[in-house]
Amino acid sequence: MSEATLHPHTRDVLRLAQPRPRWFVPGLLAGIGSAVMAVALLACSAWLITVAAEMPSLAVLGLAVVGVRAFAIFRSVFRYLERVSSHDAAFRQLAELRLGMFRRIVPIAPAGLASTGRGDLLTRLVRDVDDLQDLPLRVVQPLLVAGTTALLSVVGIWLIVPAAGLTLLVCLLLAGILGTLFSGTLSARADRELAPLRGALADEVLEIIENLDILTAFDALNPRLEQLARTDARLRQATLRRSVGIGVQSAVVALFAGAATLGALYFGVPALDSGGGLLSPVLLGPTVIVAVLVPMAVFEVFGMIPLAGSAWRQVRVSATRVADIVPAAVPGEIPVDEVDPLTLCASDRASGPVVLELADLGARWPKQHEPGVAGVTLRLAPGDRVHLAGPSGAGKTTLAQTLVRFLDYTGSYRLNGVEARLLAQSEVRRMVGLCEQRPWLFDDSIRQNLLFARDTATDAELEAVLARVGLAEWSRTRGGLDARVGERGALVSGGQAQRIALARALLADFPVLIVDEPTANVDSAGADALVRDILTAAADAHRAVLLISHTPVPDELVTARVTLPARAGGHTVISPCGAVRGGAATS
Amino acid sequence: MRPLDPRLLRYAHAARRFLLVGALLGLAQTLVVIAFAWLLTRAITFTVAGEPLRTIAPTLAALAGVVVLRSALIWLLEVAANRGAAMVKSQLRAKVIAQLAERGPDWVASRQSARLSTVVTTGLDALDNYFARYLPQLLLTMIATPILIAVILSQDLISGLIVIVVIPLIPIFMILIGRVTQSVQQEQWQALQRLSTGFLDVVGGLGTLKIYGRERRQFDRIRSITEEYRTRTMKVLRVSFLSGFVLELAASLSVAIIAVSIGLRLIDGALLLGVGLFVLLLAPEVFLPVRQVGAQFHAASDGLAAAEELFAILDDETTPEISQADAVAHTVQLGSGTLVLNGVSVRRGDTLVIDHLHAEFAPGQLSVLRGVSGVGKSTLVAALLGFVPFTGTLTLDGVTVSAGSTRGWLAWAGQRPGLFRGTVADNVALGAASVDSTGPDHRLVVQSLRWAGAAEVSPATVLGVNGEGLSGGQAQRIAAARAIYRALATDCHVLILDEPSSALDSDAEAGLLVGLRHLADQGRVVIVVSHRAAVAAAADNVIELQELTHV
Repeated sequence: MSEATLHPHTRDVLRLAQPRPRWFVPGLLAGIGSAVMAVALLACSAWLITVAAEMPSLAVLGLAVVGVRAFAIFRSVFRYLERVSSHDAAFRQLAELRLGMFRRIVPIAPAGLASTGRGDLLTRLVRDVDDLQDLPLRVVQPLLVAGTTALLSVVGIWLIVPAAGLTLLVCLLLAGILGTLFSGTLSARADRELAPLRGALADEVLEIIENLDILTAFDALNPRLEQLARTDARLRQATLRRSVGIGVQSAVVALFAGAATLGALYFGVPALDSGGGLLSPVLLGPTVIVAVLVPMAVFEVFGMIPLAGSAWRQVRVSATRVADIVPAAVPGEIPVDEVDPLTLCASDRASGPVVLELADLGARWPKQHEPGVAGVTLRLAPGDRVHLAGPSGAGKTTLAQTLVRFLDYTGSYRLNGVEARLLAQSEVRRMVGLCEQRPWLFDDSIRQNLLFARDTATDAELEAVLARVGLAEWSRTRGGLDARVGERGALVSGGQAQRIALARALLADFPVLIVDEPTANVDSAGADALVRDILTAAADAHRAVLLISHTPVPDELVTARVTLPARAGGHTVISPCGAVRGGAATS
Repeated sequence: MRPLDPRLLRYAHAARRFLLVGALLGLAQTLVVIAFAWLLTRAITFTVAGEPLRTIAPTLAALAGVVVLRSALIWLLEVAANRGAAMVKSQLRAKVIAQLAERGPDWVASRQSARLSTVVTTGLDALDNYFARYLPQLLLTMIATPILIAVILSQDLISGLIVIVVIPLIPIFMILIGRVTQSVQQEQWQALQRLSTGFLDVVGGLGTLKIYGRERRQFDRIRSITEEYRTRTMKVLRVSFLSGFVLELAASLSVAIIAVSIGLRLIDGALLLGVGLFVLLLAPEVFLPVRQVGAQFHAASDGLAAAEELFAILDDETTPEISQADAVAHTVQLGSGTLVLNGVSVRRGDTLVIDHLHAEFAPGQLSVLRGVSGVGKSTLVAALLGFVPFTGTLTLDGVTVSAGSTRGWLAWAGQRPGLFRGTVADNVALGAASVDSTGPDHRLVVQSLRWAGAAEVSPATVLGVNGEGLSGGQAQRIAAARAIYRALATDCHVLILDEPSSALDSDAEAGLLVGLRHLADQGRVVIVVSHRAAVAAAADNVIELQELTHV
């Protein structure tokens, strides 16, 4: 578990997860208290019994009787306090952790995240961030508690029978080192052997379940099931082979626990014979017995350490994944404001008409070698409604993301004659708005999903804009503006989500509005109606609209058409747009 | 929560064997624990009596043997638990997959496929901890606890009685606290659910928030969401940690009480040190398995919840309405005439979707099936495929065909491309056609791709999961090519394509329509479900499905 092997960036992430001492220490103290009490309970009980066997007066025993009861109660009380306090600390830190992560995500989202992979990536990231809570709870806390308790016990026993104390120390160290080593190696091997098999199995299962209709219809189900059975058998065999090593760690710990007890007995007997220097003979016997029995209790506390080891491996995986997804530095493909955006934002420019001009514009996604779009020349003036088509992979979405400055560009991109690079990103986004291909609806009411586009809007305005996008009837049947949209908009269909997103964009009143593939997640029958409604609702003499869509668009709804050609091998293509402007009516 | 679901034993034989092996190992462990305590007591009493090391040595040797034996048993129990988990998971998985295959696509479609596959794969892994941590402790509770109590009773009646009084208190308190926890949890449930996804909501919507210049305001929102999450969760935790508190308190207090009672009786001389020490060493062991069961409660409930979902699938007794039994009977060579639907009605649950439909599809014609969204076009296709039961008759060239039993006459492409890992050629040649031969017929693959308007896609292109590596439009055309390949390779008489051009631009759509015309010209029945104007324009025959008015 050496920190040295960690990437410094991963270490930064881990540091964010550990609560500050003010929150963390109370729980730690309670934890140590509880563990020490557990050891003391056994020590005190053993002492009580062996002293009692010598039949002293009751007064000698009084203290031990009180001690035994107190240790028993406070052990549980402290344990409860530990759990409450350490969980509270971890949750407090969660806010810091999430904010720290969010601070890093803000400048690169969404383009810097999207390039990393699939749709479930964000869910994974958020879960990983939350899983980092295990660092203080299941790694740091148990290690410190078990370590401190073990050390205190070693010192205590060393004072009674030095050799027994050393035996305990050696046994603890060996159990700790060997146990961790074994489980570390074993789980690493398991990951190597089992993880690919698990992945293969999961992929096959998903393929079969998702495509059961196809496999059935093509009489291909049985071969697939046989193949799945073979993969499952391979995974089972590998797991069985590995299971032999699984229990080794607990066995090692149990072995050394026994060894420590035996060692204490072995060294304790002569110590008793030779007579103690400090203790009176009456008390010497009982004290040696304590030294013999305490290792059992210490090893029970010590049992936390292997668990902490496996928790640590999981935390490290999460931290590494988080560090990979959220780079410390913003990739070069993503624009960074030269000046602090907050100061730039301050200039609240009135949203007048905007002319957007592109000349030989190109853009590239992070971690990609080839540009996602290249050589685009285009002019959008108020009143224009342009349909941008083109085969998949031509860079339509890349263009949309570039225009709202999620991606940096090459060539020229001017807004009212000013190069966009020179403007704050927020300034650009005030002029150029985007309805994304998958509009994000927040798990809240329709009202809240609209209001953040213009928080001064009245309910009447919201209802008016819903009517413009063809949602008046729907919103009424759903219970008006207070109807919830569900997690990730689960309660609304793809088409309705697009309409809500459009309503949002209309409220924000962007002078230039880009609508990216609104029909991508809409069943084909609804697609035509949606495109028509979008173009009708967004039409405005002061607004330029760029509709990206593969769905055919009726001529009367657009002022111009542009086609991005398929891009062969990443060569800059001849600008498709030079001639188009002629057809566009400028109002 | 039942500690052990009997269905686990019924559906997974390996679970039974594990319980048997585990019980034997548990018994052995209990005996070793008793031996350890006895030998240790013996060594200590010798020591206190001032015996020299020489006298004690045999006891120490025996103790060492017991320590080794104990380690070995701990190891064996874990090995058995892990093997048990692996076997049970494999058995359950096989059972569920077989059940899904038997229930058919329509049944599966009524459930979330992602959820289903998680349940069968990673969801099942929750059983690992159930087997490794919970079940062994449950077994020990049932085996070790009574034996240890009996031993303590035989040694010292009073200590035994203390244990007997305290032990039942533990489950009683656990249940009481569990109830309180549950009611607190229910109060907080909705809020917690929303708060726990709140951060994801902000991160996921960050692009949208940036477009509206709202990203900076989210810092406060994240802080307040997380803070509220903390307050509410802590409210629940403060109560639920009480159960752990009670467990520990009961265990350690009874050990304390036993120690004090033994101590007082030792002073009187009413008890021997050996007996007292032996009982004191055994007392915590009585509580250990019960405490572990309580501590592993979460592992157990996660595992059982995962198993519960599987059992729900396996227990689903609704008999499939489509009989697979007569599948073999229908190997009649089907003719090449008109496909006739006569009085076909299809129900979805209680709703009548298609009511006495009569339609004819002539060979050599390109027929288009049209109708507003939700009218039941895809349902009708599913019925022809035999995924959904229907009434009425279906005849091909005058011969009645029973849908679903033999699909040899039918090639189909659905709305979803549904491509697999492998090459494009493998995908196109999916199914019976490629099984017997040495592989896909290359010439036919190329032809199918061309007729699907996907000539530009190389058959050698390798696809990832779910056809990764292709654009939506390409994937759709590969799916069409797959149906065309089947039609050509196995000489299927009927080809049905469901919305094959919804993701295509007009050029690609035109290419596909040319290919379909070729297939019709070969004398096939070609049916296209589509709302596209260009498709309808190319058709010989357009059939409108009318919406049923439900009263």
